[in-house]
Amino acid sequence: MTVDVVNYVSLSAVVFFIGVAGVVVRRNPLIMLMSIELMLNAANLALVAFSRAWVNNAGHVFVFLVITVAAAEAAIGLAIVVAVFRNARTVDVDEVARLRG
Amino acid sequence: MTLLDLLWLLPLAGAVVLWALGPQLGRASGALGSATVLASFVCALLLFGAATAPTPLQQTLLAWIPGFTFGLLFDPLSLLWTLIITGVGGLIHVYSIGYMWSDKAIARFFAYMNFFVFAMLTLVLSDNVVGLLVGWGLVGLASYFLIGFWFYKPSAVAAAKKAFVINVFGDMGIMYAVFALYAATGSIAFADIFGKAGTFSSATLIAICLALFLGAAAKSAQVPLHTWLPDAMEGPTPVSALIHAATMVTAGVYLVARFAPLYSLTPTVQEIVGIIGALTMVLGAILGIAQWDIKRILAYSTMSQIGYMIMGVGVGAYQAGVLHFFTHAFFKAQLFLTAGIIIHALHDEQDVRKMGGLRERMPFAFWAMLIGTLAIIGFPLTSGFYSKDAVIYGALEHGQPVLYFAGVLTAGVTDYYMFRMMFLTFFGPYRGEVPNDQLAIATPEGAAHAEAHAASHPPAWLMQLPVAVLIVPTIVAGYVSVSFGSGPSPWTRFFGTSFSVANSVAGPVLPIAEWVSSTIVLLVVACGIVAAYLRYGSPAVQGAAIERLRSEATGMPAPLARAFWFDDAIEVALVRPAQALGAAIDRFFDPHVIDAGVRDVAWLAGALGALFRMLQTGLVRGYALTIVLGAAAFIAYFATLGALR
Amino acid sequence: MIAFYVLAIVLISSAVFTITQKSPVYSVVGLLVNFVALATLYFTLNAEFLGVIQLVVYSGAILMLFVFVIALLSSGIGPLPEGPNRLPHVVGPALLAVLACFGFLMFGALHAPVIPALVQNAAIGTVGSANVFGSIGNFGVALFTTQLLPFEITAFILMVAVVGVVAIAGDAVPQGTHGRHLRRKRSKDREPIIKAGR
Repeated sequence: MTVDVVNYVSLSAVVFFIGVAGVVVRRNPLIMLMSIELMLNAANLALVAFSRAWVNNAGHVFVFLVITVAAAEAAIGLAIVVAVFRNARTVDVDEVARLRG
Repeated sequence: MTLLDLLWLLPLAGAVVLWALGPQLGRASGALGSATVLASFVCALLLFGAATAPTPLQQTLLAWIPGFTFGLLFDPLSLLWTLIITGVGGLIHVYSIGYMWSDKAIARFFAYMNFFVFAMLTLVLSDNVVGLLVGWGLVGLASYFLIGFWFYKPSAVAAAKKAFVINVFGDMGIMYAVFALYAATGSIAFADIFGKAGTFSSATLIAICLALFLGAAAKSAQVPLHTWLPDAMEGPTPVSALIHAATMVTAGVYLVARFAPLYSLTPTVQEIVGIIGALTMVLGAILGIAQWDIKRILAYSTMSQIGYMIMGVGVGAYQAGVLHFFTHAFFKAQLFLTAGIIIHALHDEQDVRKMGGLRERMPFAFWAMLIGTLAIIGFPLTSGFYSKDAVIYGALEHGQPVLYFAGVLTAGVTDYYMFRMMFLTFFGPYRGEVPNDQLAIATPEGAAHAEAHAASHPPAWLMQLPVAVLIVPTIVAGYVSVSFGSGPSPWTRFFGTSFSVANSVAGPVLPIAEWVSSTIVLLVVACGIVAAYLRYGSPAVQGAAIERLRSEATGMPAPLARAFWFDDAIEVALVRPAQALGAAIDRFFDPHVIDAGVRDVAWLAGALGALFRMLQTGLVRGYALTIVLGAAAFIAYFATLGALR
Repeated sequence: MIAFYVLAIVLISSAVFTITQKSPVYSVVGLLVNFVALATLYFTLNAEFLGVIQLVVYSGAILMLFVFVIALLSSGIGPLPEGPNRLPHVVGPALLAVLACFGFLMFGALHAPVIPALVQNAAIGTVGSANVFGSIGNFGVALFTTQLLPFEITAFILMVAVVGVVAIAGDAVPQGTHGRHLRRKRSKDREPIIKAGR
C-alpha cells in the first residue's frame, strides 16, 4: 500500500496531540515550551505533505514562516520564563498562580 | 392683570415674599401681610358693582384643555365670602401684629396667613369644581401649617395632624364628586354643571350631593367629623379667629350654597344635611357647657353655630344660612380676638377657672365680649338676632318642625354656656395667679408695668382697634336683611337670582308668624340666662367659686367629659388598626420583603461572581486544558461537517 | 515506504520521550531526535530546502536557546524543587479530549475529498535539476515574488522579538562590585534627604 497524504496527516495529528498532552500535564515551563514546539512541527509536517500533494510551493513558504515565528515565539517565551522564574526561585508553573481570582 | 386677578393673587405674592424674605423683615412682615389682604379687600369693594350685576363677573384664565377651563367667578356668593375673608381677615392680620409681637417666627406666621387667604380665595373665586377642590386642599394645608405653628409643642403637632387627616377624609368625597360631575357632564365649570343638572339621574345626583357633603362635613366640623375643631385651638388665637371661626370652617356652607341647584333637586340629601346640621348644632352646644378652656368654649360654640348654618342651607333656606354666616363671622371673630386679648394679658392663661373679676381690670375686653355674646345669643337688635331667627324660622318654613324645635332649644343652651363663660371670666374675685401689676393697663400697677416693658409689649391699639372695628358690624350687620319699606330687603336684592333654583317654600307646618317664633326663642334664651346666673353669676355662688368649680370639674358626667366618646371611637376603630398595620409592616414586610429583595440582589451579584471566580484559578495548565477542550469542540464540529458534506 | 514507517515510529517515540522526561536536558535531546526525524520526513516529501532549514534553525538555534535557558535557571539554585500538583486530575479529561479530537480528525480525513496521491508526476522535476519543486531556487522565487509581503512582515516580527526579549529578560542586576553602578537606586526610590513634617 502506498503512502498517501492520509498517513502523513495522521502522523502529524498524533505528534500534535502528544504535544498537547505535554502542555497540559507537565509542570516544568521549559518542557511546556518544548511541547509547543512539537505541536508547531506537527502542523508543519501536515503543511509540507499537502504542499507536495498539490505541487504548490506556497505551502513551503508557509512552513518557512511558521518556523520563523516559532523561533521568535520560543525566544520570547523563554525570556518570560527567565524573567518570572528568576524571582520565583522555583521551576513550577503551578506556583506562579498570582493571577488567581 | 385685571382687578379680579389682583384681588386673588396679592395674598399669594405676600406669602411668597414673606416666605423668602421673612427672617430679614422681622415685625415689618406683619405690616406687609396685612397690607396685601387689606388691598384685596379694597379690590373686592371696587368690584362690588360688577359682582352684583345681572351677569356676574367671570374671567377665564386657562382654556387650552377642552372641558377643563379654569377661571374666576365673582358673583354675589363669592363676593360675600371674599369680603369676609379679606375684610375680617385683614383686621385679624392687624391684630396679629400685636398678638405675635414677641414671637420670633412672626414672619412665618404672616406668610402662612397670607397663604391661607390666597387658598380660601381660590376656593370661593373658582368658576369650576377643580379649582374649588384645589382651594379646598390648599386651605386644609394652610390650616395644618397654622394649627401646628408652634411645632415644638407635641400637642399642637398632634392637633394639626388630626385636623389634616380628617379634612383629607372629607376631600375624598369632593374628589369623587368632581370625577362624577366630569363624567356626567364632560366639563368642570359650574355654568355647564348647573345647566345640565336636570339631566342627571336621581342616583347620580344623590351620590354627588352626598359626596360633596362629606367634604363639607369634614371641613365644617359636622358630626361625626367634628373632633378636630376643639383640638385646633392649639394654634394661635388669630388663627382660631380667622380660620376656625370666620372662614375656613364655613367653606362647607359655601359648598352647599354654591351647589344649591343640585341640592334643590335631591330632597333626600337635603334632609340628611339638615339633620346632620341640627345634630351638630345641638351637640356643640351641649359640649360647650362642659369646657374649661375659653378657646374650647368658643370652638364648640363655632361648631354649634355652623350647625345652624348647615341646617339652614340644608333645608333650603339658603339666604338665611348665608346670612348667619355673615353675622357669625363678625361676632365670632370679635369674640376670639377679645379672648386673645384676655389670654395675652393673663400671660397665656386660657383656663376660665383661673380667671374672674376681670370686669374692672379689663373693661375694654369686658364690653367687647359682652356685645359679642349678646350677638351670638340673638339678643334683639344685634345682628345675631336677625340671622338666628331667620335660620330657625327657615327650618319651619321649609317643613322641618323637628329641626325647628332643635334650633329653639339650642338657642337656650347657647346662651347658657356663653353666659357661663362671661360670669366665670369677668365676675367675682380673681382666681388666677398673675400678679396685679402685670395684669392689664387699667390698673395703675398694670400701666406702670406696661410702660416699663414697652419694648417687649405691643402697642395696645394694635389689638384693640380690630376688635373695636368689629363691634360695629357685630351690632348692625343683621340690618341688611330687614326690608325697610315695601320692597325686598337689601340682602334679598343682593343675592338676586343666585338661589333661584331653590325649593319653593313649603307652607309652614305650624301656622305661626315669624314674630311669634322670635318671641318663643327670646323666652327660651331668657331662661338660659337666668339658669346661668343662678349657677355661676350670683354673688353667693361667686364667693365659693373655687371649691364649686373643682367639684363641678371632677363631677362632670361621663358623656360630657369624654365628648360623647367620639374621639375614643375613632381611636379604637381607625387609629389603632392603622398603627397595628404599620407596626406589622415594619416588623414583617419591611425587613423580609423589601430589605431582603435588595439584599438578595447584592447576594446574587456576589454569588455570580463567586461562580465565575472558579474559572480564575491562575494555573496555566488549567487554562491550557480549557483551550484544549474548546479546540476539541471546534475540531469535532468542523471535521465532521467537512466530511459529511 | 518503509522509510516512512520507520521515521514515523522514531517521531512518535521521541515525542513521547520528550514530554515524559523529568530532566529538561533529556527532553531537549529527545526533541533533537524528533527534529532530525522530521527533517528526514521532509526529504521524503521532496522538501529538501525545508528539511535543511529545519535542521539549521530548529535543532541548531532554538534547541540551543533551550539549553542555555536551562543552564541559566539551574545556576546557583541546586536541584529545583517542585511544588504540589495543583491539577492532579487533568490527565483524564485531557486524554479524553485528545482521543476524541484524533477520532474526529481521522473521520474527517478519511472522508475528505480526493487529494492527489504522492506519486512522481511531471510537475516535479527530476532530482538535481535546477529549480525543481522543493529546491532552494524554486523556493526563493516564490518567497521573493509571490510571497513577498509575508516575508517582509516576518522580518518585522523578528525585530519585535529581539526587542521584546531584551525588554523582558534583560534587566538583571549583576551582583558584586562589577554591577555596583547598576545597583544604585533611582532617585525616586531613595529616602528623602529632608523628611517632610515632624
